[in-house]
Amino acid sequence: MLRVLGNPVYALISVGATEEDIAAAAARLGVDRPLPVQFLDYVGQLLRLDLGRSFTSNLSVGDEVLRRLNVTLPLTLLSFALSVLIAIPAGFLAAWKARTWYGTAFSALTQLAGAIPVFWVGILLVTVFALRARILPAGGFPRTDWEDPQAALRALVLPVLTIAIVSGSELARYVRSASLDVLGQTYLRTARATGQSFAGALLRHGLRNGIVPVISVLAIQLSTTFVGAVIVENVFALPGLGDMLLVGIREQDFPSVQGVLLFSTALVLLLGFVADVLQRILDPRIRGTLSGNHRSRAAA
Amino acid sequence: MPRRMSPRSLALAVPSLIAIAALTACAGGQSAAPSAGSAGAGSADPDAVITIGSENEPTSLDQIFGGSSGVTEAFTGNVYEGLFRITDDAEVEPLLAASTDVSEDGLDYTFTLQDAEFHSGDPVTAEDVKYSLDRFISEESIAARKRQLSVIESVTAVDDSTVAVRLKTPSISFTYNLGYVWIVNDTAGDLTAAEDGSGPYTLTDYRKGDSISLEPFGGYWGDAPANGGVVYQYYADPTALDNALLTGAVDLVTGQSTPDALPQFSDEGSFTIIEGTSTTKNLLAFNDRVAPFDNVSVRKAIYSAIDREKLLDSIWDGRGELVGSMVPPSEPWYLDLVDENPYDPDLAESLLAESGYADGFSFTIDTPDSGVQSTVAEFLKSELAKVGITVDIRIITDDEWYQKVYTEHDFQATLQTHVNDRDINFYANPDFYWGYDNADVQTWLAEAEAAPSTDEQTELVKKANQKIAEDAASAWLYLEPQLRISTAQITGVPQNGLNSLFYVRGIEKVAS
Repeated sequence: MLRVLGNPVYALISVGATEEDIAAAAARLGVDRPLPVQFLDYVGQLLRLDLGRSFTSNLSVGDEVLRRLNVTLPLTLLSFALSVLIAIPAGFLAAWKARTWYGTAFSALTQLAGAIPVFWVGILLVTVFALRARILPAGGFPRTDWEDPQAALRALVLPVLTIAIVSGSELARYVRSASLDVLGQTYLRTARATGQSFAGALLRHGLRNGIVPVISVLAIQLSTTFVGAVIVENVFALPGLGDMLLVGIREQDFPSVQGVLLFSTALVLLLGFVADVLQRILDPRIRGTLSGNHRSRAAA
Repeated sequence: MPRRMSPRSLALAVPSLIAIAALTACAGGQSAAPSAGSAGAGSADPDAVITIGSENEPTSLDQIFGGSSGVTEAFTGNVYEGLFRITDDAEVEPLLAASTDVSEDGLDYTFTLQDAEFHSGDPVTAEDVKYSLDRFISEESIAARKRQLSVIESVTAVDDSTVAVRLKTPSISFTYNLGYVWIVNDTAGDLTAAEDGSGPYTLTDYRKGDSISLEPFGGYWGDAPANGGVVYQYYADPTALDNALLTGAVDLVTGQSTPDALPQFSDEGSFTIIEGTSTTKNLLAFNDRVAPFDNVSVRKAIYSAIDREKLLDSIWDGRGELVGSMVPPSEPWYLDLVDENPYDPDLAESLLAESGYADGFSFTIDTPDSGVQSTVAEFLKSELAKVGITVDIRIITDDEWYQKVYTEHDFQATLQTHVNDRDINFYANPDFYWGYDNADVQTWLAEAEAAPSTDEQTELVKKANQKIAEDAASAWLYLEPQLRISTAQITGVPQNGLNSLFYVRGIEKVAS
C-alpha cells in the first residue's frame, strides 16, 4: 500500500533537474529511506492522529481533509437525501402500480437513469442550466465556504442533482423490489382483514419489513454517493476530497492520497456500523441472532 | 543585458475590435446596465478584483520545492520580485537592483538595492538578497534554474543596500537568470503556506485545489496596480474552465489548452482572444544514443517525412508557428531554420535508403497522456507509414516520463513540450535525456555563456542553433500559440507566455 503510486520525486522535478536534485528531493521527502522505516514512521504518525504533510504542497493533510469536508460532506449528504426522496416514492409507486403502463415506464426510466454515467449527467445539466439558461453557476465553490450559505447552496445545486439522479435511480430499483416483496406478503392481507386500512397496514407492517433490506442498501449507497462525489467534483470544479484524491494520485502525493483513503474508509465502516444498529432496532428477528448483520458487513 | 533581435512579426489576433461590441451582449443572468452611452469608453474600475482562470495550479507555493511553472504564473513579479525582471518581450529590466556594476572580467557583480519593503514591513536588505540567492542554489533546492545559477561562487552583503556576487566563471545570462529568483525576507521561514515578498500584491488566501487570492500591497515601492486585487481560480478540467469563462465566473483564462474550444469564444462577440508568442516547443525527441537514431540521416529522414504545417493546422487551426530548431523567435539567437529540413517525403525515402533502411524500420514513441500529444502521435504514425516506418505509440503518464525517459533514458523516441525559454543549452549536455553529443555545439554554447558581450554570445549561440538543425538533433514540430481569452471588459492582459510569466498589475476591468 505504501508505494503503489511510484516515486513521488518525479512529480516534483522539472526538465533540467539533475541527479543530485532528484536525490535531494527524495531526501527531503524521506522516501530514500528503506520501506519498513517509512512505514513504521507513518504508522507512528497515525497513532499520534497526524496524517502527515503533503509531499508536494507541504500542507498538513489533516487540515486539508477537514477543509475539504466543507464541500464534500454537504455534497454527499444532500445528494443522498435527495436521492432517497426521489427513490422511495418512485420505487414504491413502481411496485404498487407494477402492472400499469406508468409503473413499467417508471421502472424503465430508473433503469435508464441508473445506467447513465455520472459525468455525462453533469455535463448535460451544466449545458442546460448554466450555459443556456444561466440560472445556476457552472461550477466552483465560494471561496468563503459557508459564510454565504445561499451562494454555497447554489454552487451545490447542480452537483447534487447530478448525483441524486443517478444514485436515486439505482436506489429506486432496490426500493421497488423490496416493495414488491412486501406487497405480495400474506401478512398485509391478514392486516387488512383485521380491519386496518391499506395505508395503515402498509405503515404498520409493510414499512418495518420492507425497510430492513433497504437500510443496508442505503449504507452502501451512501458510500457510493461519496465515491460519486469524486467524479462530480471534477466536472464541477469543486475543491473537495475527490479533487484532493485525484490530484494526489496524479502528483504521487502519498500522504494526501492515504489521508483521504483512510478517512473515507473510516467513514464507510462507521456507516456500516450505524446501518447494523438501525437494523437491529427495527427488526426484532435480527436482534436474537449473531448472524443477522452478515449482509451489511459484507457490503460495507 | 541580453539584447533581442527584432522578432518576426507575430500574428496578433483581434485585440480590441471584438472588445467594443460586447458589454451589452453579456451574460443574461447579470443583466449589466451599461452606463452612459458608449460602452467601450467606460473607464477602468481601480477597485475591481480580477478573477483569473488557470489550469496551472502551483503544486507548492515555494519556487525552490517544485511546481515552478504554476507558481511562476501566480507569484513571480506579482508577490515576489527578483533583482531583475523579464518583460513580456523577453527584455531584462532592473527591478530590486536599482543599479548594477560588473567587473571587467565579468566575474564580480555589485548590486545597489531599490528602497523597498517586504509585506511584513521589513526593509529589503542585502542580507535578504544573500539569503535568497543562497537558498535558491542550496542543496535542498530543486528550482528549475538552479543549475544555471550554481555559477555563483559567493554572495556578500557589503552594507544594507549593497550586495556583491562573485561568479565561478563569467555568465552572460546571469542577470537574465536572476529575473526568476525571488528575493524573500530572510526571517520568513517556511514559504510553502505563507509568503513574504516585496511585490505589488500580498497573498490573502490560499485554498489548495481551488484558488489563490492576492490583494494590492499598500507599501509597495513602485506604481500601484491598476486593479483592486486578483484571484487565481484553478480548474483541473479544461471544459470546466471554459464554462467558467462563458458564464462570467472568471474574467480571463491564462492559456487555452483545447483549441477545439475556441469557436465558442469567437462567435459570441463578447470575448477577446489574445494570441501571443510562447516559448513552448512541441518536439519529437529521439534518443540520439541508440540505433537507428544515432544516424543523422535517419533523423533527418524522419523530420522531412512529417508535414508539420498540416499538423499545426489540424491541431491549432493555423495558430502557432513552425520552428526548425529549439529556438523560438522571441530569443536573440533565432534563425529561420524551417527549411533546413523541409517537408519532402521523397527526400526522406532517399535518406532512408542511403542509410540502409530502404525497407523502413519500426520504433516506439513514448507519448505523455497530457494535452494533444496522443493526437500528434497518431499523426506522426500515419505520416511515417508513408515512408515505410512503423510507429508504435505507447501512452505514459508524466511521472513515468520523468522516470523512464528523463532519468533512465530508456526510450527510442518521445513527444514532449518544452516550455522553458533559452533551453537550447540542453543540446550542450550529452547526459540530457535525448543524448545529443556534439563537441562543437558544447564548445560554442560554453563560450557563449562566457562571452564578454551579448553580440558575441548571440553569434556563438546562432552557430549552435544552426548545427543542431542541420543534425536534426530532434524533430521540432511547432511552437504552440499562447492563447489567452478574456471577457470584453478586461484590458491590459500580458500578451506573451514566456516561460509562464504573467504580470497582473496592469490588468484593468471596465466598471459595469
